[in-house]
Amino acid sequence: MNFGEIFLGILTAMGGFVEIGELTFSLNAGTHFGYQLLWITALGTVGIMVYCEMAGRIAAVRQRPVFTLIRERDGFSAGLATLVAANLVNLLTCTAEIGGVAMLWQLLSGWPYRPLLLLALLFFLATVWLLKFEWIERVFGLGGLMMIVFIAAWWKLGPDWSAVGAGFVPRWPQTEGKRDTLLYFYYAVALLSSIMLPYETYFYASGGIEDKWTPKDIGMNRMVVVVGFALGSALSVALVGAGVEFFAPRHVDPQLPGTAALSTAHAYGRLGLYLALLGMFFAFAGAAIETALSGAYNLAQFAGWPWGKEKRPRDAGRFALSWIVVFIGGTLIALTGVDPVQVVEYSIVFSVVVLPFSYFPVLMVANDRRIMGKHANGPIAKALGWFYLVLITLAALAAIPLFFATHGGQG
Amino acid sequence: MKRLDLMREVLDQEIVDVDGVACGMVDDLEFRDTPQGPVVAALLVGPGAWQTRLPALLRVLARWVFGDGRVPVPWSEVKDVDERVQLKSKAEALGLGVLDRRVGAWLRRLPKS
Repeated sequence: MNFGEIFLGILTAMGGFVEIGELTFSLNAGTHFGYQLLWITALGTVGIMVYCEMAGRIAAVRQRPVFTLIRERDGFSAGLATLVAANLVNLLTCTAEIGGVAMLWQLLSGWPYRPLLLLALLFFLATVWLLKFEWIERVFGLGGLMMIVFIAAWWKLGPDWSAVGAGFVPRWPQTEGKRDTLLYFYYAVALLSSIMLPYETYFYASGGIEDKWTPKDIGMNRMVVVVGFALGSALSVALVGAGVEFFAPRHVDPQLPGTAALSTAHAYGRLGLYLALLGMFFAFAGAAIETALSGAYNLAQFAGWPWGKEKRPRDAGRFALSWIVVFIGGTLIALTGVDPVQVVEYSIVFSVVVLPFSYFPVLMVANDRRIMGKHANGPIAKALGWFYLVLITLAALAAIPLFFATHGGQG
Repeated sequence: MKRLDLMREVLDQEIVDVDGVACGMVDDLEFRDTPQGPVVAALLVGPGAWQTRLPALLRVLARWVFGDGRVPVPWSEVKDVDERVQLKSKAEALGLGVLDRRVGAWLRRLPKS
């Protein structure tokens, strides 16, 4: 068993749980609703574990990535629509992460934002071009671990543990009026969506194939998924906690990623500040790479092009060109001056619509004994798979009406 | 004799050449009439093949963006069908993966490619 694989899980989870969108989203959820939404975090965490485990298992047993399954099982037209929507989410998320990295560099250097965006573009192009896949996993997975400072800072703030515990129990929201209740459900759907972001599954399964998993790696796949996503989830809970214990009493509504670091600076001074900023840098950069590569994986797998970071660019030309285009496209959008946080929050809500189309084929193939043999889903995986498929379908149906009813979460 | 479900096991499956290099998807199938009934004549690959499967308005848009080129791969070139459709020849010999090689040749000029 290769324990280095744990970094694929950590990188995937970081890219989903603490990218710029969910980071601010979790803080805001905490300031608005206290710990009331923690049960959604727990629910979503188990959901993403279930589906990433299945996708990883399919990758290990049959070496088949998610978008190949989407095209095969959803049919060409629905598959194409999923591809377009999924890659739009990838592009917008990548845009936001590049913007987030430039914002962090701006905080540290005081340089203007736009030239830093171009510098970030060069950084990403050079990193993905030069680093092997396993080094991308290690550098950004390990670097993102500095985010643990948020958990320590939350602990030091002395959270109200009974409120935290109560937050894990699903209940009707205690809000003021109908508008607030709608906002609560909007946050619930968006939070679920932001945890179960589709690109996590695409990236994770493709990464498993890049790392040449075989059926022997199935046990490790399960461990990687559980450890990686539990860690991501704990960070997400700590960010909600920072919202509740630090920002809400000060009447601060954090909208910029740098603001998040105030809670760690408060707890640990300069060290806390730097750890948080560095951790955020690795988490945002990891998410940018995850989304850019995921965009290229999706396209190549749908169209049958040679793909893989492990292949030289000359041998997988269109694949390499695709991730380069995602980075350049993301930077161009960010250069227009759009607010990265807003961009990603919108893309999170719309990504929930993609989820059923992405997860249905994964479930079908993982259930199929003719394809998966003895590694097909057992009764528990099957039951959980169906439960989450119904749940995300309901969330997908509710997402757009809630988005308009709450004016995009503004109340 | 191997039984094949053309819709599920051939259409929309990945094609790999004799060296295992991915070279497209089965975007459509071409049939030929014989006294015994229709038989598969070729796998069709490329925008011109998948466009016919789109709704009319999107078809026009897709043709405008991607063109309507398509490459027929004679069924006699198919070596085996499992989860991928394996061919007997190299992609180049069948006119597949042309764009990939063109982009690859262009990227080759860059260092560490």
